[in-house]
Amino acid sequence: MQERRRALERRAVATTFLVILQALATIFFVADIAGDIADDGWSMHLLVETGATAALLAGVVFGALQLRWLILRARLDETAVATARGAMSDLIRQRFLDWQLTGAEADVALFALKGFDAAEIAHLRGAASGTIRAQLARIYAKADVHSQVGLMALMVEDLVDGDAIKPVEA
Amino acid sequence: MSISSPLDSNDVAPSPSRSRRSWDPVVKVTHWSIVTTILANALITEEGSGAHIWVGYALAAILALRLLWGLIGPAEARLSAFPPSPRRALAHLRDIRTGRKEVHRSHNPLGALMVYAIWSMLGVIIASGIVMAGPPSTAFLNPAEQSGAVTGQAVAGHGDHDDDERDEGAEGEDSVWEEVHETAVNLLYILIALHIAGVVFETRRSGREILLAMLPGRA
Repeated sequence: MQERRRALERRAVATTFLVILQALATIFFVADIAGDIADDGWSMHLLVETGATAALLAGVVFGALQLRWLILRARLDETAVATARGAMSDLIRQRFLDWQLTGAEADVALFALKGFDAAEIAHLRGAASGTIRAQLARIYAKADVHSQVGLMALMVEDLVDGDAIKPVEA
Repeated sequence: MSISSPLDSNDVAPSPSRSRRSWDPVVKVTHWSIVTTILANALITEEGSGAHIWVGYALAAILALRLLWGLIGPAEARLSAFPPSPRRALAHLRDIRTGRKEVHRSHNPLGALMVYAIWSMLGVIIASGIVMAGPPSTAFLNPAEQSGAVTGQAVAGHGDHDDDERDEGAEGEDSVWEEVHETAVNLLYILIALHIAGVVFETRRSGREILLAMLPGRA
């Protein structure tokens, strides 16, 4: 998440500098054309140069629009993740209530959902791994699953809408 | 995790990390590159030299992009998000006096006035600079001649081979523009000092958010 945001920001900054250079070039040509017209009036050459300058100006505007798209998409992405995180937390909290986990069991179950194994959870909680294994067994029994993967799958099951994802590959 | 009522998280869910104030990369880049060009032309380049003029044109390009961004950028970067409104500025002053801290998505109303003041001053500086320097191509090609014209003296004696019509009578006019340019620059320095003072004040009043929002690394 953090990495992706940084990469996007780097890209946006680079594009911004590019657009500034383009704007500088546009100003150069606009001033140049204005000077030439003031000196000698219109000519075929100036007409072509004006067309090229208009194209350059369009490039500046397009670059700026592209930048906005980049930034807004990054924000949408951020919002989506934040919303999903909120929904996930709600769901987990709800399930833990449903299963009537004790406080200690809820803590252990959360670590289990984040992918830690019994030994790691024991280390994190400063408890014996035997205790954690016993707690995990009680959690699995209450949730009616047989493994850590089963526990995770229960949560994913409720959050992922398979029908919404499948058509993408079609 | 604390297991409280599942409902209370509803207040938290719709406020993603966006609530934290931060400017988009375009605003940050234009802000700091304008700072760079001002410092460069104030401290490094020689007045009226080709480099000075080119940095000035770069400043014009950056300002143009920021104004364009003010029309099409994200909500908080748009001009419509911080209209110049003395009424709201006064209301903000009242907030400061009563110690109320309102959250502004964009510039606060006083800051908005400062933004427009600085932009118009930059506009005057750029315009008067362009009047003196002429189109960038000639500015680049004849830096010596241009600096001669800017000092506004002893140009008549030499260097008037192909620019006769422009140098004639331009002497008096140029010194007027030079006056405008220098006065505007001095006013700009005052505005910048006020701007920095404003940032320091707001930072003390409402925390470091205002400062962090313009620094890199927080998209």
